[in-house]
Amino acid sequence: MDNAKRKYVIPGDVITTAPFRPEQNVILDGKKIIATVVGTSEIYDDSVRVIPLAGKYSPKVNDLIIGKVVSHSSLSWELDINSCYVGFLPAQDVFGRDFSAHADELTSKLKKGDLVVARIANSDRSRDPLLTVSDRELGKIESGELVKISPSKVPRLIGKRGTMIQTIEMATNAIITIGQNGWIVVSCENRNGLLKAIKAIRMVDKQAHIANLTDRVKLMLESSGE
Amino acid sequence: MKYRKKLLLTNSFQTEKVPNLGNTPLIDELKSNQIRDFLEQGKRIDGRAFDEPRSISIEIGVIPKAEGSARVRLGNTEVITGIKVQPDRPFPDLGDKGIFICTAEILPLAHPTAEPGPPQEDVIELARVVDRGIRESGMIDLSKLVLVKDKSVIGIFADNSVIDHDGNLFDACAYSSTAAILSTKIPKWEMQDDVPVKIEDQESDAPITTIPVSVTMGRIGKHIIVDPNMDEWLCLDARITITTNSDGNICALQKGGKDGFTLDQLTKCGETSTSVGAKIREIIKQTKETGQ
Amino acid sequence: MGGRDTDLVLLDENGIRCDGRKIDEPRRIMIKAGVLKNADGSAYIEFGDNKILAGVFGPRDVHPKHIADTDTGILRCRYHMSPFSVTERKSPAPSRREIEISKVLKEALQPAVMLEQFPRTVVDVFLEVLQADGGSRCAALDAASVALADAGIPMRDMVSSIAAGKVADTIILDVNNEEDQAGQADMPVGYMPNLEKITLVQLDGILTQDEYKKCLETAIGGCKLVYEIQKKALTDKFFSNGESA
Repeated sequence: MDNAKRKYVIPGDVITTAPFRPEQNVILDGKKIIATVVGTSEIYDDSVRVIPLAGKYSPKVNDLIIGKVVSHSSLSWELDINSCYVGFLPAQDVFGRDFSAHADELTSKLKKGDLVVARIANSDRSRDPLLTVSDRELGKIESGELVKISPSKVPRLIGKRGTMIQTIEMATNAIITIGQNGWIVVSCENRNGLLKAIKAIRMVDKQAHIANLTDRVKLMLESSGE
Repeated sequence: MKYRKKLLLTNSFQTEKVPNLGNTPLIDELKSNQIRDFLEQGKRIDGRAFDEPRSISIEIGVIPKAEGSARVRLGNTEVITGIKVQPDRPFPDLGDKGIFICTAEILPLAHPTAEPGPPQEDVIELARVVDRGIRESGMIDLSKLVLVKDKSVIGIFADNSVIDHDGNLFDACAYSSTAAILSTKIPKWEMQDDVPVKIEDQESDAPITTIPVSVTMGRIGKHIIVDPNMDEWLCLDARITITTNSDGNICALQKGGKDGFTLDQLTKCGETSTSVGAKIREIIKQTKETGQ
Repeated sequence: MGGRDTDLVLLDENGIRCDGRKIDEPRRIMIKAGVLKNADGSAYIEFGDNKILAGVFGPRDVHPKHIADTDTGILRCRYHMSPFSVTERKSPAPSRREIEISKVLKEALQPAVMLEQFPRTVVDVFLEVLQADGGSRCAALDAASVALADAGIPMRDMVSSIAAGKVADTIILDVNNEEDQAGQADMPVGYMPNLEKITLVQLDGILTQDEYKKCLETAIGGCKLVYEIQKKALTDKFFSNGESA
């Protein structure tokens, strides 16, 4: 990945006029490939994209996300998933195939304010994203602390092959569930470990674009913090 | 080209006849439980003591063209207050007193759920509570603001704009208004042919008699906490705002929220408001001296 | 508008304006990105004596639902002046002037914001004038663009804005309050610097065809200066302490 050409850009910046393929967060205007968001532009393998440094979560099928129930109808719950759209969780997904709108009361399983780990089941422009919790590691979150970071920083928090998140988990004994939408739940039996893990996560959020971040996070975790 | 009839309506915020669904901020149950658990252990989620307000920073003179102004940060809550001073007609039965009016607005940029439009009941209550705290303390000697009795008086308008909402707007607006009033310069007006004319470069300090300080306390279960932040605010069973003046006497108070207080709790709140208020009064006084 | 009698000298024999500026010199401009905690994007601008705060939310769900568009997101813009922002206290209720400016600014931003990527949503832009000086709508537009970029909302280009005008038969850049009141013309312009498109233009006053062209060119030149300051605001927030590749 290191032979990609990178540059900081803001909306309207011309990244290149070469005949490359425009990918995420760029547009083609005549011969110019133009950035549409604040971020880092990347030219790699004849394609051009911008990695955004700000913005809401853009749902992708199969992404693991954390959402908060904001309302419900008789057939589904609506969840805030830090996106432009609310996520829909159909009642059938939780109650099972023989769900009956008359007999089964949605609030018995999930109510307003509950936090849920879910996957994006379906997402296209014409409808709001559909969620599912029908997997073993998915469902209502009973305990833990919610930390919100920018979705664009999530890859950095995970790290190459999971190195960053493993470093934090091992140093603090915390269990960290990372939603691709930038919402993260941290549980830890030890209060100090919990605070350190949260501090590390916030550090990544603020300094994701600076080099040697993993080393600096390691240093912070090793020091006997407050 | 599709005919975009709908766009004609889209810039109007005045079409809100539909009741807002899910527009109040929603606290997640995890956080709500955490707050309660912590309180049981004698702690608050941000590490503060029960009677400890958030960090306060006050800056005056932020709107130089206004006659007075201040900007207050109470934790992450931020308010800007501008004071306008101009001649006005007195109220019908109060011809020997100047006018003091306090308003408040939660700007729509202050919070995702804040909406533009005429103020709702919570914002009106906010403005009136801040107004009473200052007025009932007698902070501004309105009798010194008369140009011609029964005809022409000086009006002081304190307009509070909340620009970031993280709970406890009562105190943030009160501190901002108070600091702004303390820094206000009253221009000099002379009556010429029955019309007040401003004489340039002859301003004087506003006639101040006392410095009111409000302290808002909330009850969650049996615990009382000072200066709730937004997360705590959304869990409150009840709240009370008590304003004390420089003598430590209580000059205004307002209880709010869906539940109540015991007599003991209210008495304790009275004491807390005086002690916490005294500390905050020092911070406000220092601003007047140093400008920050 | 237009040459009222005043003992204020708008342009002296050395080409110096009433506030000491040269004819092509803008007032002092400072922009800071990301100043609010709750808004998705925000910016604060000081442009001469204008002090304006911009806050952006979105793209987000629209309420009431019936104004949502199934094919594209919509943009809402509210330009509002605080009661203490002007010399004589102003009522908090929106005036007709504020409503018109809200519409004009919305239409200045619409060509830039890529709303078609977010059907059924709204992008809300809130502009609050804390202290007003001449050219507040231009300053508000400058802050709005930075706030939208700060929120990560995709845009084809930034929108930069400044007013050109005419005093003492001379075309000037960046009209201040006195020049607006006593001068001969005031033309606020909003411009997308990379796509080279004008998205806002209004005129108060009388110009010949030549003056009109010169005014536009002067304003566009000014917009390019403002663009550099907008860029700096975003660079300072997002790219500082970092390596640029």
